[in-house]
Amino acid sequence: MSSIPVSDRRLVHIDHAAGRFRVHRDAYRRQEIFEAEKELIFAKCWLYLGHKTELANKGDFVSRTVAGRDLIFVRSREGAVGAFFNTCMHRGARICRDPRGNTKSFACPYHGWVYNTEGKLLSMNATRGFAENINSDGALNMRRVPRLEEYRGFYFVNYDSAAISLADYLAEAKDFLDLMCDQADGEVTVLPGEHAYGINANYKFMCENSYDGYHLLPTHVSYLEFLDEQSGLKGKDSAINFLLTQYAKQGRGRGLGHGHGALESWVASGRPVAQWIPVWGPEIKAEIDETRLRLEQRHGKERANLIADVQKNMVIFPNLVINDNVGFTIRVIEPTGYNTMRINAWALAPVKESARIRALRLDNFVSFLGPAGFGSADDVEMLELCQRGLDRAPVEWNEISKGMNGGGDPRTAQAGPDDESQMRAYWAQWDLMMRGQPAFGGR
Amino acid sequence: MTKPLLTRSTVEEFLYFEAELLDTWALPEWSALYTADARYDIASLDSADPTNADPATTLFVLSDDKNRLDSRAKRLMKKTAHAEYPHSKTRHITSNIRIGEASGNEQKVRANFVVYRTKGDRTVHYMGEMHYVLVVDGESIKIKQKRINLDLYTLADQGRLTIIL
Repeated sequence: MSSIPVSDRRLVHIDHAAGRFRVHRDAYRRQEIFEAEKELIFAKCWLYLGHKTELANKGDFVSRTVAGRDLIFVRSREGAVGAFFNTCMHRGARICRDPRGNTKSFACPYHGWVYNTEGKLLSMNATRGFAENINSDGALNMRRVPRLEEYRGFYFVNYDSAAISLADYLAEAKDFLDLMCDQADGEVTVLPGEHAYGINANYKFMCENSYDGYHLLPTHVSYLEFLDEQSGLKGKDSAINFLLTQYAKQGRGRGLGHGHGALESWVASGRPVAQWIPVWGPEIKAEIDETRLRLEQRHGKERANLIADVQKNMVIFPNLVINDNVGFTIRVIEPTGYNTMRINAWALAPVKESARIRALRLDNFVSFLGPAGFGSADDVEMLELCQRGLDRAPVEWNEISKGMNGGGDPRTAQAGPDDESQMRAYWAQWDLMMRGQPAFGGR
Repeated sequence: MTKPLLTRSTVEEFLYFEAELLDTWALPEWSALYTADARYDIASLDSADPTNADPATTLFVLSDDKNRLDSRAKRLMKKTAHAEYPHSKTRHITSNIRIGEASGNEQKVRANFVVYRTKGDRTVHYMGEMHYVLVVDGESIKIKQKRINLDLYTLADQGRLTIIL
């Protein structure tokens, strides 16, 4: 093992002249790197907590783990959204044990301390013994997470009170969130139900995979064959032939600033907004045509095309995926060790949507995504093969240079949809933060 | 209440037969046990009412009609279904069979199960309750509905659900 401090190790090697971008495999396979990431990345970045529609009513709460911290995400009885550390200020017990619910207060099961939904300590369940006015400075109220901000209903926390604002942090990812949310005529909501599963691989493999346009054919050929069987399209009209001959001609991968990145691509997998595919039948076509028309009325033809036709995979640094392709999805990647992660994923949808389109949307989601989907499970196998492969070989570098095309900041560069520019955007940010360099100095 | 259409031992034999087809990866034969209007569903593990949850309004872990169930069986037999290459070794254990209501030619059945899955050097298990609707046609039995309620909150340890339960 190297004795060089983490901050002095160069784990990302960029050589523009040679067209090479390499990431040292220790970034995925060393416990001390993971420990450094907790401090240098997860303690400084904005991390996704939840969506406002999960707290529809006053008193609604969700308990969730974000970068190893147990949090309570709550809409208070007064209506304010808050985030607290899920620990009693008395002796530390985890207070809230329900994954979600509605409550007037949070009571610690151990000695009965009670906090209201604004975190204020209401009762210490004792008539004597404690100093009078012991909480006059509020220091025994439930501890708030240092920062909580939202953009278009997506709430993020930051454990660094000195962090830049969420809006600045998101950089161009904001524009992507706008494009995704603007598909709705009104609000977007998180649907009930959740996919929650573990993967035995470094979390960054999932980030890379989530907007990888290069792996589609080899990893997902059996899904593409399924699509072609469903559509009845063969030969040159098949989805497989499209990927082989057309996919790379449209779209792009690109950095959105601050380590965020996106893949914009065209694949006719069918999208409730507003891309019809023949297997859905004529009745659905009429409805989707109507949706498309209204979309054009609201946003103009050009923006409507961007919203409806472009499949969008986005990674918000360091561990949030928001995709708008076969489904409209939130995927949170929670690292649990250098070689393990937990995934939590939810389906998003416009609030205003017909029952049959809603059903179609959910059906599309589960056909590809999640632990039993025809796609995601094969992705997971690839991530685990990557972890095993590099854990058990004395090989130093991963090669992430497909589509290298000149100099400049990789965090805002772009290349083809089957290139790797979006991953380089991630790794360039990761490298700056891990070396303690300024990483938020504009785009 | 209508008299049961099937005895416990007949149901038991049928469910054991289904389990054997799954454990031997005879998946085309397995999907042939299902009716043309069949459903094979697993609700979200955080569902408060997984027995009655509706895949048209809530996100499911798995929600197959007969068409996708056939496609699932077909896909899993391919080497390119990477998550199941090589195929896991599985053992389906079925027990606590309870014969429910009968109506027309349909018989409701519940059973408990544990499925062990080994891939490489790692073994995980899935456990829960299966809710069947069986369709009886003379000597033949087919499955019209198989809904699985897993006794799990997440698939944190299991990871994927690429085998058929």
